[in-house]
Amino acid sequence: MNTKIRFVIFMLFFWTANSFFAPSAMSNSCLKCHVDYFEDMKASVHSKEEIFCDSCHGGNATQKLQKDAHDVQKGYVGVPDKKMVANICGKCHADVERMNFFGIPTDQLAQYKTSHHGRGLFQKGMNDVAVCSDCHSYHDVVKVNDPTAPVHPLNVTKTCEQCHGNEKLMNRHNLPFDIPEKYKNSVHGKALMEKGDTASAQCVSCHGSHGANPPQVNKIVSVCGKCHINERKFILESVHAKLVMAGKFPECIACHRNHDVGPANLEFYELMCLKCHQKTDSALIQGERILTLLKDSERMMKSSALLVRQAGIDGFFIEDEEAILEEVKTKTIEFRPLQHTLDFEKISKLHVELKAKNDEIDSLLKRKRKDRHARKLALVFIWIFISIMILTLWKRYKQYTRLK
Amino acid sequence: MSKDKIITWLGERFDLGKIQELIGKQVNKPLPKNIGWLHTLGSMSLFLFVSQVITGILLLIYYRATVNEAFESIKFIMTKPYLGWLYRQVHAWGANLMIMVVFLHMLRTFFMGSFKKPRELTWVLGVFLFIFTLIFGFTGYLLPWNQLAYWATTVGTEIAGAVPIIGEWIKVFLRGGTSVGGETLSRFFVVHVIILPWLVFFMIGVHLLLVRMQGISTMERVDEEKKLQMGEGTPFFPHHILKEGIVFYLLIGILITLSILMPFELGEKADPLQTPHAIKPEWYFLPMYQVLKYLPKLLGILILGIAPLLLIVWPFLDKTKARHPGKRPVSVGIGITMVILIIIFGLLGYWAESKRIIFGKEYEFDVYGKPHRIFHETKK
Repeated sequence: MNTKIRFVIFMLFFWTANSFFAPSAMSNSCLKCHVDYFEDMKASVHSKEEIFCDSCHGGNATQKLQKDAHDVQKGYVGVPDKKMVANICGKCHADVERMNFFGIPTDQLAQYKTSHHGRGLFQKGMNDVAVCSDCHSYHDVVKVNDPTAPVHPLNVTKTCEQCHGNEKLMNRHNLPFDIPEKYKNSVHGKALMEKGDTASAQCVSCHGSHGANPPQVNKIVSVCGKCHINERKFILESVHAKLVMAGKFPECIACHRNHDVGPANLEFYELMCLKCHQKTDSALIQGERILTLLKDSERMMKSSALLVRQAGIDGFFIEDEEAILEEVKTKTIEFRPLQHTLDFEKISKLHVELKAKNDEIDSLLKRKRKDRHARKLALVFIWIFISIMILTLWKRYKQYTRLK
Repeated sequence: MSKDKIITWLGERFDLGKIQELIGKQVNKPLPKNIGWLHTLGSMSLFLFVSQVITGILLLIYYRATVNEAFESIKFIMTKPYLGWLYRQVHAWGANLMIMVVFLHMLRTFFMGSFKKPRELTWVLGVFLFIFTLIFGFTGYLLPWNQLAYWATTVGTEIAGAVPIIGEWIKVFLRGGTSVGGETLSRFFVVHVIILPWLVFFMIGVHLLLVRMQGISTMERVDEEKKLQMGEGTPFFPHHILKEGIVFYLLIGILITLSILMPFELGEKADPLQTPHAIKPEWYFLPMYQVLKYLPKLLGILILGIAPLLLIVWPFLDKTKARHPGKRPVSVGIGITMVILIIIFGLLGYWAESKRIIFGKEYEFDVYGKPHRIFHETKK
């Protein structure tokens, strides 16, 4: 075949293939000038659904001339301001019919309007509050579960930090700017950012995303209780419950703090209770009794684990003891939420159960060691018997040989 | 029913006099004067076989020969049933002692020339009994289904696979597939608890029958042995039986002592995906395993294949008349050399792929058992 004809067929194939794979983008006249934006948005969720420039910026994407395409009469808005961004996004994302098939909720705009950000924008006319595009980005919007998304759990702290770590901006709003730093050093922050544990709490877990607000004092238990279900349940059984419900006592954060939540430890009983209680309070004495039980339970678990481990090293079969040790560990873990009831009787009951298991391990291992010792002791008696038998037989043998 | 009545009842049905005469003849049969303590090795082997059968039956009550249950069932035996730990340990130690005692019995027969005419067939049966005892050990070793057993069996069957032409077939036949698995366990179990016990039982029967018929060998030259008359030599009963009794008690003591003071650990359950470092067979296969490392594969297998054949046909090769070891320098020399070689290769196999401290210096033994000094870098 002629080389020229081959070349033409080759070019035709590429031209048709190109127009076949991206017909809408190619026919959108905006991209003829704003091709650099297309690079940004071609991987976005919107581009994949053929939602291009004019869907948000308005204008007429079928016109080839700039003045016709940018016709304000045709709804061209150019770069939208913050209020417009919220409304433009809401146009689709609050449309139930439109979002139905994507399985995306449609209350984001409504939620946003109740948030500190939304109220600042719509009610107070603040232009420096976060709006959709500040968190989700604009041309290159990807799904929340995409690891590159700014709102992906692993990235959301950095996204919030852009504003909440900005000293000038936060000063303008009389807000602290060290919250992201505090969070990074908290147990939640370390679990998320160092271990990559996306189940760990981050900004939106407590404040909400579109409806971001600081939780009220009497809502803190509920906020923390979303993950710490048992702790919430037991706190509401405690003597502090009434104060919590009345909004007079910020239960969880009173001891654990909020953004800079540290590892929980028994020292809290000695440090935090004194913030409200006098040393002579009967409540504090009750707290000390509970603390003694908790310390004892930790000690018992450690000693059981050590006993079982040593028995394993000494060559004993320890499957049964290991199974009981698991129960001991479970019960010790049960103490953590249960202690929030501050109910001595309940905690004491669990302590008794734990002690019983601990004693069971101890007695089982003692019996095994005793058995081993008894076996060795039995050897002495066995050899005494064998020696007697051998001596008797030997004596007889000698008698017979002498006789012969 | 009184004793007399029983005897009368039996007498009406059987010729008791003849039976009594037969038993009496065997009991009172005189043994040659050269009978010593080494002659109890045969009965020690028999005692250990009986002990293995009894403890084996006890183990069978709880043992489950499946990949999922074998290890757990042994663990169960060692922890739950009354004295389960003891009969499992006695069985494990009994197996090791039996191999040792049968081998020593064979050595005694070899060095004292007892295998010579007219006892060639007794020797041949004895060699087969020794080989079957080794197979007993090999098949039984896999049954606990622990890591050591699994990988030792993998290596053992792999060696069989290196035999020219039929090797692959033998390997697959032994394993019941291409790798060691549930099928191998079933096969080894059947061989260990059904085929071998009965085979060995009948062979021991014939072996003993021949010993009783031909009598114990003296140190006299071939064809010059004098038949002992009643009242000559050492009486089988009670003299020799008393010695057997002493040895019997001694063996029981050794078995129980070893079981208590040096119990066999069960280790970890077999994991086909995790190969342990330095896999080795049991001590009685170590010399053979080590020899294979030094020789080209085919030559090694040929030599190891010839060794048992040579043992079987030895009475037909060594036709000299003398029995006394002092008068058979060549055979005794060969025998001693072989024993020394077995010990050397066994030790090399034991040391191979291990680290040891000798006179305060640390050595690493390579796969051939050659030591390499380890020098630790000291931080300045």
